[in-house]
Amino acid sequence: MQIVKVNSIIDASRYYEYVDNGSPKQGGVKDVYFSPDRKYVVAFFRTPLDYNQKDRIKRIVTLYLENIKKGNAPDYFLQDIYRWPYDAVERDGKTGVIVPIYDSRFFFSKGYGVNDNIKGGEKVGKWFTAPSFRNKQYPLSLDSSELGDWISYFQIAISISRGVKKMHQMGLAHSDLSYNNVLVDPVTKSANIIDLDGLVVPGLFPPEVIGTADFIAPEVLRTKHLKLSDVGRILPNQRTDLHALAVLIYMYLLRRHPLRGGKIWDLDTEKDELMAMGEKALFVEHPNDKTNQVKTDQLRKWESFWGNPEKIPYTATGPYLSELFRRAFIDGLHNPMMRPIANEWETALLKTVDLIQPCSNTSCEEKWYVFDNTDKPACPFCGTPHKGTLPVADLYYKFKNDIWKPEGHRLMIYHNQYLFKWHASRKVIRNENLGPEDKKPVGYFVFHQHKWVLVNLALDGMKDLVTQQEIPRNAMVELTSGGKILLSNEEGGRLLYITITNL
Amino acid sequence: MTRRLLAYFLLDTSGSMHGEPIQALNNGFNGLISMLRSDPQAMDSLYVSVITFDNDVKNIIPLTDLASFQPVEIKCPDSGPTHTGRALEMLCNLVRTDLVKGSAEVKGDWKPILFVFTDGKPSDLQLYRESTTKVKALDFGMIVGCAAGPKSEISFLKELTNEVVRLDTTDVNTLSTFFRWVSSSIQAGSKSQGTGENMVLPPPPGELIIVV
Repeated sequence: MQIVKVNSIIDASRYYEYVDNGSPKQGGVKDVYFSPDRKYVVAFFRTPLDYNQKDRIKRIVTLYLENIKKGNAPDYFLQDIYRWPYDAVERDGKTGVIVPIYDSRFFFSKGYGVNDNIKGGEKVGKWFTAPSFRNKQYPLSLDSSELGDWISYFQIAISISRGVKKMHQMGLAHSDLSYNNVLVDPVTKSANIIDLDGLVVPGLFPPEVIGTADFIAPEVLRTKHLKLSDVGRILPNQRTDLHALAVLIYMYLLRRHPLRGGKIWDLDTEKDELMAMGEKALFVEHPNDKTNQVKTDQLRKWESFWGNPEKIPYTATGPYLSELFRRAFIDGLHNPMMRPIANEWETALLKTVDLIQPCSNTSCEEKWYVFDNTDKPACPFCGTPHKGTLPVADLYYKFKNDIWKPEGHRLMIYHNQYLFKWHASRKVIRNENLGPEDKKPVGYFVFHQHKWVLVNLALDGMKDLVTQQEIPRNAMVELTSGGKILLSNEEGGRLLYITITNL
Repeated sequence: MTRRLLAYFLLDTSGSMHGEPIQALNNGFNGLISMLRSDPQAMDSLYVSVITFDNDVKNIIPLTDLASFQPVEIKCPDSGPTHTGRALEMLCNLVRTDLVKGSAEVKGDWKPILFVFTDGKPSDLQLYRESTTKVKALDFGMIVGCAAGPKSEISFLKELTNEVVRLDTTDVNTLSTFFRWVSSSIQAGSKSQGTGENMVLPPPPGELIIVV
């Protein structure tokens, strides 16, 4: 055991220390050593890098890091979304990157329910995207304290979408987005994108990997046999990142792979795999082409719930996400330009969170589900029907004078639900730029003395347009079918149109 | 829907393994299972089968998924021959029944992988040579031979595969390191793929010598 000191190759006056105990943690291409205070790690590439590779690393720790620091919400991206390398070092001809240490929430505090085998292990995404680990019959299922609920995975998907959005805005492509490169914590609802030293600058540095099985875009696999110099060869780029992103989101929410169905394309396993993920790739839930649908009798017993799209179809994710899944896996599967961009995923995920209802079954494992627009809503996960009336608020914006137009944004109301500025005003956008002031609730909905009411906490100019009654702060208004509630008289203020269903 | 990856382990339990070596083998193998169980990808697809060979040849762990795997103590007699050939023969029979071949209806398994661990040389040489031909015909995705200890002979394993690892000793440290390496070879398939073509084994740890 010795402490080694290494100098930065960016600025020779900076140095780092790490503990060398002879057995570093080994990643795919790097050996990882911890600093004595465990605030950062020094990760050395096992094989020496060439000029281009070093140049790319240098840019990632200088130029692109600076871009993030100077851009919007820098702390959010650098703390909550990325583990971004912030310096580079060299020792014995090997290049190393300095990366902030992973937060303790990304290590299992319990792991498996029955033993401590993975306690302390990294929570890579795969644990949470396979159906078996959450099946109680599985001998090594994860402890239920590790799994979070369905909302956890919306927040995780939102974080990943934002991370990809930011990278793409900076002109970068991740090139190897997969559940191995994203740490997630369903308990605190967080996700961190890791291993960022392989980022690709389109046109400047070519990718060194084609990706990880399950996430490689069909066009990359379809052209994999061509030489790197062949103009027809397609390597990872922003559009292939968008395929990987869609697959990740589908897997986090639905715990199965969107393209792994029952169709056998070739009797040779390797060829079959290449075709199923490449040139013949076909959505398992394609509404018209059933060729690749899951053969449910061939599912392993602990995959029979999440593995079966008939039990939880992709449409269980609600209208906004369903539309994007169709674009990603039907229209855009073989047509990369059609794939939804990261920002669209972020928006659709956020809008869907507003459609979520709590399940009235207190022992429901997912606890939340998306309102399915039917008059007899029920939790798709445990089957419990919704109890009681169900108010729905559609958001409208002022087009001109007395003309209001729908936002295409609906808020499902439940007891003890909060209303926020981003609902009340067009001028506040729900994204990573929100300050603490904007995250404070401006009102709440409750079922109070057999009536649904909205209590005004912080909105000026709230008014019931049916009765023409003003609703000042700390006053409430009853929600009735056909009700029109102006939330704010400020510019951009929205109107809620109320419908009460499940009567 | 997930494909299975079948991994067969042929472990030498002949008399010469008696004492520390068999302890080290148990240790190393249990360590391997534990490492694989901490990898979600392996948990999702890997199935393991173990054959021990000495005078007797036994399938002490019939094909099982990692989660259902129950550890078994690997024992060896005080002395006796090394029936590697019979072990390979049993392997061929097992693979023929275990392996799901792709058909028009069912997704086939990945090409299976095989690890042969021995500290000596086959006592049933004729059968061994006949069986190596049969094993090669089964189209394994990867065959790794491991010759451990001073009396082991590489040349016989080389008749089976080009990937032969030589370990100078059979102590706990060496075998643990070897099984760590085995674990990373098994997991290599789920890692990022290079832009080049062929899958390669990860480099072995320093104290091993690969004979090619």
